[in-house]
Amino acid sequence: MTASTLAVETHGLTRKYAGLEVVRNVDLRIPTGARVALVGANGAGKTTLLAMLATLVSPTSGRATIAGHDLGKHPPALRRAIGVLGHQPMVYEDLSSLENLQFFARLYEIPDAEVRVEELLRAVGLWLRRREPAAVLSRGYHQRLALARALLHRPAVLLADEPETGLDPEGVALLDDLALTVPSLTVIAATHRVDRVEAWATGLVRLDRGRVVEDTASVPVAAEARP
Amino acid sequence: MSLAWVVMQKDLRLAWRNRTAWLSAGAFATISVLIYSFAFDLATRDVRPLLPGVLWTTFLFAGVFAAGQSFQHEADEGTFDAVLLSPASPTAIFFGKAASNLIALLVIECSQLVLATILFNTALISAELLAIVFVGTVGYVSLTTLLSIMGSRVRSRAVLLPVLSMPLLIPLLIGAVRATGASLGIEAGTAPWMLLLAVFALWSTLISALLFPIAVER
Amino acid sequence: MSALAVRLLNLRWTVLPPATGIAMMAMIVGALVAAPREIIEGEVQRLMYIHVPSAIATYGAFFITFVASIMVLWKRDMRWDALARGSAQVGVLFTALVLLSGAIWGRPIWGVYWTWDARLTTTLILFLIYSAYLLARAISDSTDEQAARYAAVIGIVGFLDVPLIQMSVRWWRTLHPQPIIFTTKPALPGEMLIVLLIGFVAVFLLAAWLISLSTEAERLHQRLAGVRAGVDRHEGA
Repeated sequence: MTASTLAVETHGLTRKYAGLEVVRNVDLRIPTGARVALVGANGAGKTTLLAMLATLVSPTSGRATIAGHDLGKHPPALRRAIGVLGHQPMVYEDLSSLENLQFFARLYEIPDAEVRVEELLRAVGLWLRRREPAAVLSRGYHQRLALARALLHRPAVLLADEPETGLDPEGVALLDDLALTVPSLTVIAATHRVDRVEAWATGLVRLDRGRVVEDTASVPVAAEARP
Repeated sequence: MSLAWVVMQKDLRLAWRNRTAWLSAGAFATISVLIYSFAFDLATRDVRPLLPGVLWTTFLFAGVFAAGQSFQHEADEGTFDAVLLSPASPTAIFFGKAASNLIALLVIECSQLVLATILFNTALISAELLAIVFVGTVGYVSLTTLLSIMGSRVRSRAVLLPVLSMPLLIPLLIGAVRATGASLGIEAGTAPWMLLLAVFALWSTLISALLFPIAVER
Repeated sequence: MSALAVRLLNLRWTVLPPATGIAMMAMIVGALVAAPREIIEGEVQRLMYIHVPSAIATYGAFFITFVASIMVLWKRDMRWDALARGSAQVGVLFTALVLLSGAIWGRPIWGVYWTWDARLTTTLILFLIYSAYLLARAISDSTDEQAARYAAVIGIVGFLDVPLIQMSVRWWRTLHPQPIIFTTKPALPGEMLIVLLIGFVAVFLLAAWLISLSTEAERLHQRLAGVRAGVDRHEGA
């Protein structure tokens, strides 16, 4: 199977803190377009696993490729392929929604920046409030702005950490429409909302103390064997 | 490097929106010039021998103070992670941040030169002195930028920054004070102070730019 | 690491303590008894046998911190942090020793405890830099990788700052007249030289042993924290 059909592939991905394996030996083979719910108790390693895939934390050992790019080398192409929705909105409070998105659009060197920014601001319902500083927005609207920021550069893979946090039902519907159920987008989202997993996920990965204990998302190695 | 420009523009805009942090650094500098005036009774005697020291201790303390403040928001809001996630190279991000800090500090320092010119009735606005202030500020801003970013991930950063950066900056302080003294016509010896300043500025910019990409990775 | 290297490194626990003890003894006897009394400076000159080697050992310790700090950033292995920190502790201890013995030596010879001599001033600045390093590291716990990386940056920048500090301080001092201290250096008579060499061996061995001990102590701190975290997770589950 070529790398292009696997969106995320990890081999023995491990991260230690203070000698303790917070994430241990994670092997995943997530096909393109899959929507994976990452579940597990607090401290199971969900956030650390996502942070490693996002290149924010480097693995202690093991390797991974995302959209065909080697994680260890951090090429700009890999960074362009991932979008991150953290538990913090990661937007500038003193900039307006428009300025926030314009800044990130320039950072990602998006060619049709103006069109894309307007499109997303309209989609998340912030177009009319685009000139207000982010600081005055409610928690839910912060999260919507964060969603727009994460999707701005049309990532192939969206990594999300508790994306439903702070969203009202309307916001959750928006999240589903824009991100969680977009056919072309591969999603790995850590979530506590087990009740909602059915609604959007195509597979589930359960972590317990850093280890994968259940995985219905990965494609088996055997299945891809070619004659 | 055009991305460094993007980061710098954004940081300058933020600095302007969030003026209080920089205004407090400016106020801190003003207060310290006044405190020195009272402490050394600068009103009644020839101030020129003391002036270089007064100016540069003020600049350094205000600069370190400002560096700690300026990065606080970025760290607290998690936006620095978002910037690191982008395809922009860490080196470009570093130069963007250092450049915006440099510009904001130069504004504060020039205002202090004007204040000191008036208070001490000594002409301080000369091309030579501005060049010294510029090179000296380049010399410390890259190190304080690096240390403030690194320190933002560690507890008690506010206390630490001056304690950590001041000893490292002693060569810069010596060079800047002597060069400033020489430009004011004070005996400063024959050593090439401007060269020392330039070497320090080059050294600190280079080492900070080299260390930053390695150091920010987690 | 190869098995042989590990075995050689482990020898430090059996070889260093007795070797250090013997060398220190030899140095003390040599400095206090065997070495002749210096004609001009008198008995106080005997401090040289510990002062000069300590000054050199200081640079050695800070060099180890420098190299280990590079490894912290490069290899992200906390064992290097333990070495960097352990070695900085010994370096700071020895700078304090140099400053103290220098003051005791200086008082009868120059008439003052402290003079802004270029070497003394450089040593004082190093003391400040590495005290700050230890402070930065001590504020977070021993397994905090971000704090280790922060400290490593200071360990690297601090060491590379040394030539600039020396240059600036030397130029700074040329402005003022000062007692001539190190400029005239007559060749040491043979016996003195031998005792000084023994002093070097003794102080270096002591520094190596202390660095081994403090590094091991840091390692144990790290492992303890790791075990604690493991227990927490076990109980939490």
